[in-house]
Amino acid sequence: MFILLPALLLLITAAALATLQVFQPAFRYAWLIASAGALLAWLSVWLWLPVMPSAFSADAYLGGARFLADSISWPYALSLTTLALAVIITSVVRPNFPNLFSWAGTFTLSGLGLLAVLANGPITLAFAWAALDLSELAAQLRPAGALRSTERTVIGFGARLLSVLLLLWAAIYGKTFSFETSTAQSGLLFIIAAALRLGVLPAQISSAPESSMRGGFSASLRLVSAAASLILLARVPSASADLPLAPFLLLITAATGLYAAFLWMRAPDEISGRPFWIIALASLAVAASLRGNPLGSLAWGCALLLAGGALFLASVHNNILARGLALVGAWGLSALPFSVSAIGWESGTPAHILTWLSLPALVLAQALLTLGFIRHALRPANPSALEAQPIWSRNLYPIGIGFLLTTLILLGLIGWDGARALGSLPSALTAGAASAALYWLTPRLRWLNPSSARAISTPTLNAPLDTLQQFFGGIYRGTGRLIDIVSAALEGEGGILWTLLFLVLFLALLTPETR
Amino acid sequence: MSAPFLWIIFPIGMGALLLLVGRERAVSVLGGLTTGALSLLALLIPIDTALLLGTASFKLQGTLSVLGRSFTLLPAHGLLLAILFGLAALWFFGAESLGLSRRLIPLSMMILGLLVASIAVQPFIFAALLIEIASLLAVPMLLTPNNKPGRGLVRFVIYQTLAMPFILFAGWLLTSIETSPGDVALTNAATSMLGIGFALLLAFFPLNVWIPMLFDEAPPYLAGFLMWLLPLVTTLFAMGFLDKYSFLRGSEQLLTALRFSGILMILASGLWSTFERHLGRLMGYAVIAETGFLLIGLSLANADGVQAVFMQMIPRGVVFAVWAYALTIIAAHADSLRFYDIQGALRVVPLASMAVIAAGLSAAGLPLLADFPARLILLQELATKSPTLLAAVMLGLLGMLVGVVRTVSAMAAAPAEAAWEAHEETTQRIWLGAGILALFVLGVLPQIINPLLKNLPALFSRLGG
Repeated sequence: MFILLPALLLLITAAALATLQVFQPAFRYAWLIASAGALLAWLSVWLWLPVMPSAFSADAYLGGARFLADSISWPYALSLTTLALAVIITSVVRPNFPNLFSWAGTFTLSGLGLLAVLANGPITLAFAWAALDLSELAAQLRPAGALRSTERTVIGFGARLLSVLLLLWAAIYGKTFSFETSTAQSGLLFIIAAALRLGVLPAQISSAPESSMRGGFSASLRLVSAAASLILLARVPSASADLPLAPFLLLITAATGLYAAFLWMRAPDEISGRPFWIIALASLAVAASLRGNPLGSLAWGCALLLAGGALFLASVHNNILARGLALVGAWGLSALPFSVSAIGWESGTPAHILTWLSLPALVLAQALLTLGFIRHALRPANPSALEAQPIWSRNLYPIGIGFLLTTLILLGLIGWDGARALGSLPSALTAGAASAALYWLTPRLRWLNPSSARAISTPTLNAPLDTLQQFFGGIYRGTGRLIDIVSAALEGEGGILWTLLFLVLFLALLTPETR
Repeated sequence: MSAPFLWIIFPIGMGALLLLVGRERAVSVLGGLTTGALSLLALLIPIDTALLLGTASFKLQGTLSVLGRSFTLLPAHGLLLAILFGLAALWFFGAESLGLSRRLIPLSMMILGLLVASIAVQPFIFAALLIEIASLLAVPMLLTPNNKPGRGLVRFVIYQTLAMPFILFAGWLLTSIETSPGDVALTNAATSMLGIGFALLLAFFPLNVWIPMLFDEAPPYLAGFLMWLLPLVTTLFAMGFLDKYSFLRGSEQLLTALRFSGILMILASGLWSTFERHLGRLMGYAVIAETGFLLIGLSLANADGVQAVFMQMIPRGVVFAVWAYALTIIAAHADSLRFYDIQGALRVVPLASMAVIAAGLSAAGLPLLADFPARLILLQELATKSPTLLAAVMLGLLGMLVGVVRTVSAMAAAPAEAAWEAHEETTQRIWLGAGILALFVLGVLPQIINPLLKNLPALFSRLGG
């Protein structure tokens, strides 16, 4: 039960904040309550360290909901609570401060995200995913503006529901009710479910949910959801990568990662590029699992949450802070020794031609991601100066960003068994060199320059995916027409005769011959 | 006093009396309180067991004889009656805020009494007649005043009526089998007759077209009540056959046919839901899929299957009640329940829209929601039989999920400037809020209904034991 304490603290704080907003909207100490709740949750995650691994089973439900705090769930739990804390601390510079409902939403999502990363079985994880999906849907539809934005929200919701179904299928088909007993086949289905949720397989780039919201809630919405999916990649057995399908999936993942990283680098600002950041880094995480290195997915996942969190929360500009953010973020993404992503390039599978083919694309994706990160960190979309803020905000705000960056560095050193790794130097150095080369080429090659917001979804860039969508759309419409014809026949005047004919045929097939 | 009088004759009589009451509120309160009280009595008073009240002893007789036939309620029926009458009370109380009490309650009480009679009647073959009478009583309830009966309603009557001779004929053949059990031709004929009868009664695919049509024509709340109760009691009737006749229980072909029919119903529902553009009809497809799951439970012919059938009872009642209630509210605020007409419903009737989404997701088997626990047991059982069958059911569920996602899309589609303005009445909000909460509670803590369910398999001791 102790391991559920951070999640409970976050959920209780969320309830308290929502209650305050309803009954005492002018309450002056709401920010302090929110900060205290987030800080306690953050500290309680640290308290797991001496007792790990520690499990908890809620036997009341069927086989029992299973939770496990171990060296895999801990980095994600720390990242999520750090993110929640940073959201509250950095909120002091936002124009809508204080925003109790938004904080309550952040805490609710983070609490559910914590339950997801603690899940020690697919059924428990499916519960957490479902809770997150419904919360996200409610949060996104409430302020939905343009029709296209609503459509994207609904498409994203549909994809996530499909992933829940896939996860359940993997669990039931593989009779897997704990990750420790997962089979290789179930593991591959887990990877597909997580990749589907993260928008990697199939690439959901043209329908990636976008959000123009800069606030902490919007960042939490995206990142917590990603963390809840990424945890599954770290729980798959390495043997899943040996299955024949894995190299093909790896190739598709690499292509998606490269494309998304390219879009991220060209995005006009970090907020409009956020979906591509998530898809690109998630692709690296999926690729790590598909290469038999589930721990590598943990490394990329933490980089996604912490570096991304710092960048998306950095809403006011300060030169020193921006440089620090660019430097530490790039370090986190570098895969250099002792960085959080150092183990990202290790591989646990025998070489396969498709694996080799995908590797350059993945390394290039990493280079583009790093370059994009540096660019967005140094050139924020909303350049209001930190100096214009009140003194207390000016002092607090960097602490929030600093929390995330410090955690990013710390996880590379103490995050999990095998941290402080040297990693795969050739890959890391190649990616670094590619980043430097691209940085040099950017002013010289027009197509590497940041595009306007509209140009991100140009027909040229999305053409292959649109063609695929049109193909499936055609099948969908064709099947729909067929269904309409059958419905018209069955529901029309002659429907009774049709149905009775079907019944007789059915019985004729099933009734044994009695001669 | 006898139990059949209390739970069969009294509700039928009360329903007839309520036909004379003119005020919506009075009908709702009287109907709700009566069924609620009957539910409580079923829970508290054991049937056929002597109770000491001070110095006096009291025993609720389990049997009532009428014209040489008997109606027998066993002690194990108590919990079943408590569930049926308890859920009916919820439907009846909810009807008032929709203005449907007078149309729903009197006839529904009579239908409920008749369906309880169908469970209790001996020889149990007479159940087919009682179910037919109940179906016919539903006609005036579903018929819109001053309108011609719709095609769905006509089909409903035709199929239910067609079923009766098949069941009765099967019963006659079964009597002959009891005297000559080795006659293979006779057993095959009886099995086929029963198969056709139940295919019509339970609306196997493709005999189920009338269900979505009915939801298109009649108020969803009325159609929902009928489709909650009728297939459930019919399934219990079918379980009675399986329990009584060992050759049916042991017939691999019959069980396979039941399983395939169930899966086909789920698969077809999923496929049709994927393309459906009418909220009411979508609920109709969910009803069909639910019956498909009941059939899968039945086809297992073991304790797990019986348990799964009973586990679906309460969630099924709650999900359909919430869904039908919310649909009726949406229908009152839109020209029709077609997707085109309900665009932006999320901003006009947000709680009702959320209830429809939650109920739809529950029917599609999403974790956290009421239907999931029973679904999980059935899917696990199915996985042991064949992964292909499991995949087929999962495909059906996927189709249902697509239907819900399209519903969300239609409800959320509104111009950006459209304001959020809830139009539900306070009572309706309370019912909807409680309903949505119940869906989650049943999904997360399914064990809270276990005390009500644990003794029910005793009703079918050979099947469930």
